[in-house]
Amino acid sequence: MDNETPGEARKARWLTYVIAFGITTIIFGTALYVSNYFNDVRAAEIRAAQDNISIDILSIETQFDLLAEQSCRDISESSVLSTELRSIAERLSYLESQTGVNVEELTSLKRYYSLLQIKDLLLMQRVSEKCRLNPVFILYFYSNEGDCEACEDQGDILTELSRSYPQLRVYSFDYNLSVSPLRTLININNIEKDLPALVIKEEVYYGFRSVDDIKQILPELATLQMATSTRAATGTKAR
Amino acid sequence: MAEAGTFITLGLLFLAFYFEVFLLVSFLERQFGLRTAAPAKKPVVFPKVAIVVPCFNEERTVGKSLLSLLALAYPKEKLEILVIDDGSTDDTYETALRYTNDPRVRVFRKENGGKHTALNFALARTDAELIGCLDADSMVDQHALERIASGFENPRVAAVTPGIHVDAPRTLIQHLQYVEYRLSVFNRYAFAGLGSIFITPGPFSIFRASAIRDIGGWRHGHSTEDMELGLRLQSAGWTITNDPLATVYTKTPESLRTLIRQRVRWSYGFLKNVFDYRHMIGNPKYGNLGLIILPAALVSFGAGLYFAGRFFFYLIRSAADTTSHYLATGIEPWQSFDPLFALNTSFLWITVYATVAMTVVLISLGTYLSTGKRYPPVATPLFLALYSFIVPLWLGIALVRAVLNTGVRWR
Repeated sequence: MDNETPGEARKARWLTYVIAFGITTIIFGTALYVSNYFNDVRAAEIRAAQDNISIDILSIETQFDLLAEQSCRDISESSVLSTELRSIAERLSYLESQTGVNVEELTSLKRYYSLLQIKDLLLMQRVSEKCRLNPVFILYFYSNEGDCEACEDQGDILTELSRSYPQLRVYSFDYNLSVSPLRTLININNIEKDLPALVIKEEVYYGFRSVDDIKQILPELATLQMATSTRAATGTKAR
Repeated sequence: MAEAGTFITLGLLFLAFYFEVFLLVSFLERQFGLRTAAPAKKPVVFPKVAIVVPCFNEERTVGKSLLSLLALAYPKEKLEILVIDDGSTDDTYETALRYTNDPRVRVFRKENGGKHTALNFALARTDAELIGCLDADSMVDQHALERIASGFENPRVAAVTPGIHVDAPRTLIQHLQYVEYRLSVFNRYAFAGLGSIFITPGPFSIFRASAIRDIGGWRHGHSTEDMELGLRLQSAGWTITNDPLATVYTKTPESLRTLIRQRVRWSYGFLKNVFDYRHMIGNPKYGNLGLIILPAALVSFGAGLYFAGRFFFYLIRSAADTTSHYLATGIEPWQSFDPLFALNTSFLWITVYATVAMTVVLISLGTYLSTGKRYPPVATPLFLALYSFIVPLWLGIALVRAVLNTGVRWR
């Protein structure tokens, strides 16, 4: 029960208003800091993973240079495109969906990712040539600037395919990213900005392609081993 | 567009959180500062009290309410109970008459005219210093009245409100209200500390009879006479206090349908009465009530609707996206669901988590203030998860009806 003089309780005490405002501001500021912290942690995870991959690639390249043809077996059995590279795409697409993520940092991560993919592609082609392998891979070009409605669906189709067939390599590239090797890759394959675009066996396919379409274009898929579990590989989820 | 929406959402969350922090800071200042809330003591002099039980077709519940009133620990000669049968068509009158062998009970019958007419009818027929009301669906703790009566030693106090609890919750909807009432206990106590209670709830709010006569008795108040009276007392400069340990149990709606009907009436009455007393909003003359409590109540009304609108907009859009995605790709949505990504750590969501956590703190304080228990009710998580989705239902209906001026009925 209040024993204070009448009306006193109702009188506004400005200090209370100010203290409450201060606390609220501090808590909201902390929330902003925490969310940035988590985004930084995610970005750092991706950077670390990419560094690992670049070491992987470098070591396989070195191994390839060192060893002669008789070691083809070892190389073909090892997965050049490590599963880590696949999962990076998912983490990148999560970061892209977040507000307040450092755009420059994100773009730099994406450029690095594209370079790693191209390096992996080249290495794989070199290995295949030398060891007479017949690699099954798809190049996928997308845009997430709002000018490609089917890109999200196409990305998920490819994610699903690479989950079902862990040996299938899907290289996905943001068409709009300014990385010189990527521009060269686009020029070599003559890819126009009519996305989504898929390059399968040196042929360019524009527009959305379903799982059945891709199976028809790429009958070799049937010869690949199916994943025993749907979680065997995390696919490249590109948007 | 999306950016503007995020901005508005953050702004509203900031205001909601600010209001919760403000209440908590005021509460703590009151608990630990100079403005110590003295424990209620027995009044030195027991003032004469008239308790009105307005009834309309309450033959099943009126007896229980009367028994709880007769059990009150209060001097017999200082207590009278006036049952006002407001034109019931059932046996309410006859049921109430059975209790007249106790000299404290008087029973009257009048033509139906609404709750405020029954209260004024009783006000005209008593010389008691204090007058209160107990709805026929509520019961009081035996020490409630002596606690409340001691609050009137301050001559500027026109009303003392109790701590209201849900009586024997059974259905899910009642359990949700059980938690909500604990939050209300805290809010009412905090508002009292700020001199800003603007609702004197039907169940067992007690008034200084002379104050009520001075300001002209009860009015219809858009079917929420308890809010209209609270605002009118505040407008006239009277003080309204609260004793959370003066315990009252009330029957609450069992189903969503009856709850919505009750709350549409409350929300409609809120909008209409606040409009009638709009001169108080933002007016420093009315202190905390004008500067923060009423504005915050209005903002939370709008925010409730805005958040719900935004949520359902995104829900529908995401459902449509998922469906079209499934139709295009044939991939079931749950295949690409990753629980690690589900914990969203964006700024917006962290502030939502903080607001929810603060609400839990306030519910716990309400529980502590009214029961002495240190933990919130077990249904608290359900309340937090579900209530914000059902509140907008009545806010929306009430807003439409208030704009169209349709009026609302008691039942």
